[in-house]
Amino acid sequence: MSTQILTLDSHKAGTPPGDLAIWFFIFAELLAFGIFFLAYAFARANNVELFNESQQHLNRESGAINTVVLITSSYFVVRAVAAIREGLSRQCVYWLGAAIGLGGVFLVIKLFEFHAKFSAGISLSTNTFYMFYLSLTIFHFMHVILGMVILAAVMLKAHQGGYTAEHHTGVETGASYWHMVDLLWIILFPLVYVIR
Amino acid sequence: MHNIENQRSQFIRPCTRVWLGLLALTSVTYGIGRMELGGTQIVMLVLIITFIKGEMVAGFFMGLRNTSLLWRAIMASWLVIVGGGIAIAYLVGLK
Amino acid sequence: MQYQSQAVAKPYFIAAIGLFVGQILFGLIMGLQYVMGDFLFPAIPFNVARMVHTNLLIVWLLFGFMGAAYYMIPEESETELFSPKLALLTFWVFLVAGALTIVGYLTVPYATLAKFTFNDLWPTMGREFLEQPLVTKVGIVLVALSMLFNLTMTVLKGRKTSISIVLLMGLWGLAVFFLFSFYNPSNLVLDKYFWWWTVHLWVEGVWELILGSLLAFVLIKVTGVDREIIEKWLYMIIAMVLITGIIGMGHHYYWIGTPEYWQWFGSVFSALEPIPFFMMTVFAFNMVNRRRREHPNKAAVLWALGTGVMAFLGAGVWGFLHTLAPVNFYTHGTQITAAHGHMAFYGAYAMVVMTIISYAMPMLRGRAANSEKSQVLEMWSFWLMTVAMVFITLFLTAAGILQVWLQRVSTEPLGFMAAQDQVTLFYWLREISGVIFLIGLVLYIISFFVKGETKEAA
Repeated sequence: MSTQILTLDSHKAGTPPGDLAIWFFIFAELLAFGIFFLAYAFARANNVELFNESQQHLNRESGAINTVVLITSSYFVVRAVAAIREGLSRQCVYWLGAAIGLGGVFLVIKLFEFHAKFSAGISLSTNTFYMFYLSLTIFHFMHVILGMVILAAVMLKAHQGGYTAEHHTGVETGASYWHMVDLLWIILFPLVYVIR
Repeated sequence: MHNIENQRSQFIRPCTRVWLGLLALTSVTYGIGRMELGGTQIVMLVLIITFIKGEMVAGFFMGLRNTSLLWRAIMASWLVIVGGGIAIAYLVGLK
Repeated sequence: MQYQSQAVAKPYFIAAIGLFVGQILFGLIMGLQYVMGDFLFPAIPFNVARMVHTNLLIVWLLFGFMGAAYYMIPEESETELFSPKLALLTFWVFLVAGALTIVGYLTVPYATLAKFTFNDLWPTMGREFLEQPLVTKVGIVLVALSMLFNLTMTVLKGRKTSISIVLLMGLWGLAVFFLFSFYNPSNLVLDKYFWWWTVHLWVEGVWELILGSLLAFVLIKVTGVDREIIEKWLYMIIAMVLITGIIGMGHHYYWIGTPEYWQWFGSVFSALEPIPFFMMTVFAFNMVNRRRREHPNKAAVLWALGTGVMAFLGAGVWGFLHTLAPVNFYTHGTQITAAHGHMAFYGAYAMVVMTIISYAMPMLRGRAANSEKSQVLEMWSFWLMTVAMVFITLFLTAAGILQVWLQRVSTEPLGFMAAQDQVTLFYWLREISGVIFLIGLVLYIISFFVKGETKEAA
């Protein structure tokens, strides 16, 4: 029954939603982040005290709020995909706009966090923990921006009526990428902010 | 119309439940962080929660649960390798 | 050949092959100087031979890329070149400037050359790969800009395909990153920091775009696989190149005074750099297996497959061997680097230029493919050069491992020259492989002159 929904979009059953190429891209991105996460974990193992001490200076609240923001944004994208599958272009645009808006909220919260750290004189060279904290979060930050650009392009095309209930691979492609950005933060948050 | 009803029950509603579940699990993780709990059991709990959250996003939001075993296996093994690696690194760091 | 103006590619290809021969001859001179220190001294000292060897490499590859672009862009855009005259003019300017530069290297001392060419006004010389006098550097920029203008105008007035856009991106990137050769800060760390941007952001970044589009073009032509499929592969490869290569370049920043985080950035991202090369190999074999026609030019297919494999081995595997910071701590600047450099440049860039020459040259001479006899000879040259290069790489790797051990790991480390004395056997073996490579190259050139029955171009 559920496969019936997928076949609405004329692509083969068993393959993930969206363009196949984006999935290769997603897995390549996951691989890069995965290696970075593991590098963090093992660098921590060699330097537990430093990491535990430095972690206490992070703003855990903003990390948690950002998790909620991204999860909710991802859910809005789900609703956008659902809307276009019913051929409701306008709803799709609204949901996408809301998702992009939450992406913006994420960026603003993150900028406050960065600002606090930078004005405390913290940089990539402060210590190994901050090197990882800053590079992981900045790297992710840039992916949020990229994801927002992709969603905005999709939203523009949806606004122009470029997608229908039958043909909307573009919406699913952008959605898949955005969920990946969410997925990465779901791992990054406990790894960097919580585990001690 | 049949399709639309189908999609609402098969796609939107499960995803709404997943979203609420993700919020609940996030608050658990945050609570652990706020109390600054540590130690092997706590960390393993956090990692298991993270794995479940990852699978929820991948399966429902990304729609991988409707794909062939290969795709699900790739995603699950990525989560297991990353999560397992973090767990191993944590245990190494205890010594 | 579908468009008259594609013919301007021919002199570029001929010049590329000519300079390739020069590069190999100077390589052999240098290889001998490794074991016979005073060979040809003082006429051609080692540092000059090295400079000519590396500069010729870069210049002949540039000729090859330009020829490839002038051949491909009209066919992809389905229109004549914007200005074939300009393309020919820039060819002669580039060739004469290049030749004069090499003559300058060989006839006057480097310091005198610098003085004659106004290096005092704007010092840019004296750095590896960027030894060219200021006037030559300016000439390169002008040649590159006129080429980009010509090609961009052609694409703008014609059909826009992914292949031509990726190729143009690569060529524009090439020109932009060359501009950093004019920046020569007096702080040695900053100097080195930006020095890496010219040649190494080429080979790990924008040149890979050129490589990908050349390979995609030839594969479309010889396999008849749908453009859509090939373009999808091209996009994925490009995405991976850009994710891994740009930050992965940080593996050059390990021990030159840059912040420590580069050891992490460089290690993590460059560890992923083999992926796009692996994808290229899979791509080439996959497309050839799914071919929908039997192209008469078997040699070009062989070169295309060879490029995939050798680029992955040379750039991917041999690069990975010493890219992680803890390993590179011991191996940097040893013969392991030389081993990687040789196989990567040959496998990725020399071979892709020979792929496009192998495909385009018969077309430019009015036939779909060369005669059977000529192709057999070309394939012999392929195997001789490729196998010789594998052996050069293996011998240099062996020399490098021994060198690392003697010089940096053992409890009583030897000095540099004392360690070099211990590895001469490998240098001799490398020189013999080099001679075999030259034989392969000579056969390659002879194959252009072998006559026989040929099919008319379609």
